[in-house]
Amino acid sequence: MSTFDKNAVEESVRLKESSSGSVTIITVGRSDAKKTVKEALAMGGDRGYLVVSAEPDPHDSLTTAYLLARAIERAGPFDLVLCAEGSSDVYAGQVGPMLSEWLALPFLGYVRKVEIKDRVIRCEQTLEESVRVLEAELPALVSVMSEINEPRYPTLLQIMQASKKPIEEVGSELLIDGRAPPRLVTTVGMTAHAMSRKRVIFEGSPEATSRKLVEALRSEGVLKR
Amino acid sequence: MNSVAREVATAGRELAESLSGEQLFVVTERSRAGEGAGKVLLVDGGEEVEGDPDLIAEALARAATKKRPSAILVGATRTGRIVAARLAAKLRLGCLSDVYRLRLQGTSIVGDRDVFAGKVVAEVKADLPCVATVKVGTYPMMSEGRTGLEVEEVGSLHRGVRLVETLEKRESTTDLRGASVIVSAGRGFRTKEDLRLAEDLAKALGGALGCSRPLSSDYGWLPEELHIGLTGVTVKPSLYFALGISGQLQHVAGIKESKVIAAVNTDRDAPIFQVADYGIVGDLYQVVPAILEILKG
Repeated sequence: MSTFDKNAVEESVRLKESSSGSVTIITVGRSDAKKTVKEALAMGGDRGYLVVSAEPDPHDSLTTAYLLARAIERAGPFDLVLCAEGSSDVYAGQVGPMLSEWLALPFLGYVRKVEIKDRVIRCEQTLEESVRVLEAELPALVSVMSEINEPRYPTLLQIMQASKKPIEEVGSELLIDGRAPPRLVTTVGMTAHAMSRKRVIFEGSPEATSRKLVEALRSEGVLKR
Repeated sequence: MNSVAREVATAGRELAESLSGEQLFVVTERSRAGEGAGKVLLVDGGEEVEGDPDLIAEALARAATKKRPSAILVGATRTGRIVAARLAAKLRLGCLSDVYRLRLQGTSIVGDRDVFAGKVVAEVKADLPCVATVKVGTYPMMSEGRTGLEVEEVGSLHRGVRLVETLEKRESTTDLRGASVIVSAGRGFRTKEDLRLAEDLAKALGGALGCSRPLSSDYGWLPEELHIGLTGVTVKPSLYFALGISGQLQHVAGIKESKVIAAVNTDRDAPIFQVADYGIVGDLYQVVPAILEILKG
């Protein structure tokens, strides 16, 4: 499981522990994603729901969000959907807001703090230039930032208990209906990013190494003075 | 126009030229109707959107249904990402995210984007019409100059999220994207007060101060807009000076376009030395004062 996702799982388990209810872990992936679901169940999820998709394109967020929306509806009534700010591989941050659109839920994104009282959710949203306090009625959808919490490490006992928790699997083809969006985005190529650097290392006294560094930077012409 | 909008404007102009089409600058707040680098379209929902991405997306979706643009470009800020994703879902259009080097290919748009923390460049394609968020720091900024204003009334919008208050409204201090020298601080700094060292070096080099994610997000020592990396700002200065930064892939993703990278770290095996041109293995608390002394001399 990506570290971003762990923060979302942790927050859902904390909310359950401080109030009541249950946590359902839902993901889209190949059948080996079951491992990921089990990891989240060990952290405190109550049941799992895996949408098995043969070849999910990581950039086709619209389809991923659609599959998740249909899975959430099938999993039963809910008050809150929590997701990560983005995935660790492509970090597009699109699935959360798209999901809120498909489920017609208010979206509170990039959140560093969550409180729920009398079916009203209050969040602190961190944008580049400000932190905003937002409120919405439940049900709602929240994407959390990594600084919201420190995810727990499950104990061996919790890991063993997790294997007894139910995981429902459904093929993605069963969730694609007439309302599903066409696949409009495709990944057409992948190339390793080339980065060549000089990698000159200076070791020794602070004065001697600093002198060498300043000389090197002067000869590169990147020092203004 | 802020710097992000001016970059997106350049990306949009290039596309408009290859599509032989017209470029429109869309604003959703009346107070910003004067901003643009060409013809401006004010999408008016009758109330202040207050930066609410749900309302902005709904307003844009209604306007797009009438105007039928070939491509809708948005800056890849946090708000921009939410707006673009919701807009794409509403209009059932493909959405490219954090792309640069956008180009027309038949009836599609192709763009590059950094994935796996910048180790890999993916080429992604969306059929036209589409939505795309443009990676910040990847296009030159277009100069301003409005040439006309059109207003599109889109009716009242449904507000699902209430803005209770704004905390820590940050003044935009320095624009890292345009800086030619950046001194960046990482976890090697022990206290917030010690950041003075990085500031002094930045000042001596005529540069700007930046940081790695932990300093802004976890410790809150510096504003989020100074956070450089995959989840923050991408920069390309001629000199990038990393102080006490280990060089996690997520951070490196934001600095790899720098001309020269210099690093100071106590750990000889820190990954930052793998991506630096020049490195000093040493304690920044001793090295930075030594460098300042030399620069003074």
